[in-house]
Amino acid sequence: MSEQAVLEVSGLEVTYSTNRGDVRAVQGLDLSVRRGEILGVAGESGSGKSTLAVALLRLLKPPGKVTAGSAIFHPKGRSPVDLLKVEGEELRVLRWSALSYLPQGSQSSLNPVMRVEDQFRDVILEHAPQRKEALSELIHRLLAQVGLEPRVTRMHPHELSGGMKQRVLMAICVALEPDLVIADEPTTALDVTIQRVILQSLADLRDDFGVTLMVISHDMGVHAQLADRVAVMYEGRLVEVGDVHQVFKDPRHEYTRQLIESIPRVGRRAS
Amino acid sequence: MTTEAPPVVAVDRPQDSAPTTGVRAWLSRHPLAAYAIRRFGLYLVELWGALTIAFFFFRLMPGDPIQTLIQTLQQNYIYNQQASAEIIARYQHEFGLDGNFFSQYLKYMEKLVLHGDLGPSLINYPTPAQDVILRALPWTIGLLGISAVLAWVFGIIIGAVAGWRRGKLGSSVATNLSIALSHVPYFFIALILVYVFAYSLGMLPARSAYDSRIEPGLSPDFIGSVLKYGLLPGLSIVIIGTFSWILSTRMLMVPVLGEDYLVYAEAKGLKGWRILTRYALRNCYLPQITAFGISLGFIFNGNVLVEQLFNYPGLGTTLVTAIQQLDFNTILGVTNIAIFSVLTAVLILDLLLPLLDPRVKYWK
Repeated sequence: MSEQAVLEVSGLEVTYSTNRGDVRAVQGLDLSVRRGEILGVAGESGSGKSTLAVALLRLLKPPGKVTAGSAIFHPKGRSPVDLLKVEGEELRVLRWSALSYLPQGSQSSLNPVMRVEDQFRDVILEHAPQRKEALSELIHRLLAQVGLEPRVTRMHPHELSGGMKQRVLMAICVALEPDLVIADEPTTALDVTIQRVILQSLADLRDDFGVTLMVISHDMGVHAQLADRVAVMYEGRLVEVGDVHQVFKDPRHEYTRQLIESIPRVGRRAS
Repeated sequence: MTTEAPPVVAVDRPQDSAPTTGVRAWLSRHPLAAYAIRRFGLYLVELWGALTIAFFFFRLMPGDPIQTLIQTLQQNYIYNQQASAEIIARYQHEFGLDGNFFSQYLKYMEKLVLHGDLGPSLINYPTPAQDVILRALPWTIGLLGISAVLAWVFGIIIGAVAGWRRGKLGSSVATNLSIALSHVPYFFIALILVYVFAYSLGMLPARSAYDSRIEPGLSPDFIGSVLKYGLLPGLSIVIIGTFSWILSTRMLMVPVLGEDYLVYAEAKGLKGWRILTRYALRNCYLPQITAFGISLGFIFNGNVLVEQLFNYPGLGTTLVTAIQQLDFNTILGVTNIAIFSVLTAVLILDLLLPLLDPRVKYWK
């Protein structure tokens, strides 16, 4: 695993304007994501972790606004770009082939009226038209990678279970072997057994495709199982970043300690 | 990381517990065919019911069409002699008005279903009513059908773009214009168009369907003349129709734009028009298809005004004349055409919707 950074965020500020004043959702955030790693971003609801994800993906909608900072992205074979400044066609081309997104499977992120295969097809052909020849084999291979049968290609989203939808989304997000995948709560709203399978598949995807993953989750258990490093956010600020073992063993920030304590354990009663 | 492979997710197969031979088995193996057959059966029942109600409804209307006919004949031919009971009986037989309602009904249904015969038209005696209707039908389909389709297509396209680019100037203009104009009475726009283009500028004719000096036929002159004469009535329908379709399409579009799959499509880096057509519009145009089928019925209501205003020789004019003269057979015929087109349109849409949207399923 090289130590080279694929993304360097510095001084990021995101503000939501409301009629009762501005809410600073992300404040002065510095963070770098190393190539090939799985970086977990932890924090409670409202800590700004999802805002960080949508800001980096450039999916932030008004009244949200990036007010300061830069996010230098180093895609393979391309010149570095500032994700927060890139616009229009340049941004569109960067998407999916270099920077992809894994949404929450319980959301309706799959187009309800398109077959699964067409949801692969449109994004692959948009960014890599040369793959047209062996497209269905590619789709079958991607689905097999996440443990789905080939006949899922002919199905529509409403015929899939929540876990299956999450797998389809995972297969789509690595289809073009992007440099960075930002996963926003990939296991939320799935039952715990499926969560475990999904986490395993995510880890396998990293091993097989060499993608870099940034996993946003409120669940410290997810980070313990999956991440190499963990970044902890609290009230819009990054309070701690470090190796997952170190953070769990010896949290430097009081909030991190509380987060770890909040993981339910068998035999311990809530007081 | 462990090397444990994720288990292959099994998909539930429908369990077949139905019998394996016979018609029932075939139907249970072909749910779509079974649905289509059942739906077609329902269509036939609806058609029969509506035609029957229409028949008795007109029979129960007050007024004696034979008396009206005799009066007309007397006025036209200065036929002073009192019509004998024999002549009246003869006419009643001709028009299917003899005997009790039930035997009239049986005879009417037999002629209609087996021969497509509506009986003679009262005002165009002895021309059969179906001939009178068939003469008018192409004009109505040509003018109102094409205008309705055009209005729908324009409305969907402009409405989709207006929804897509909401908040932008062009979209606001289109939306507010639609709010203002979609409920303006049709004839108001028609009168403005007639005033400007026919009266003030003298560019376009305001009456009739073609230049009467040109021999009807498939000649370029005649077709050109039909297009020219159809422009004003067509335009007035298209304008009003387009604005109301814009408004409804935009209203369907806006909530879809907030859906997760649109954010996802944007994250995929797809081109804007592709997101608009394949993700946004594809998920919201379905109600517009149903609405279009229903609006076809209104062609047969609304056309009365259009055709009267422009003196267009279509079904609307035929209907108005027929009602004035109590021409039972023609009135019934026009009503039957309306019944038939609406029911058939709804049937086709019902069969088509499962193909257009995978989530629509009528069968189990």
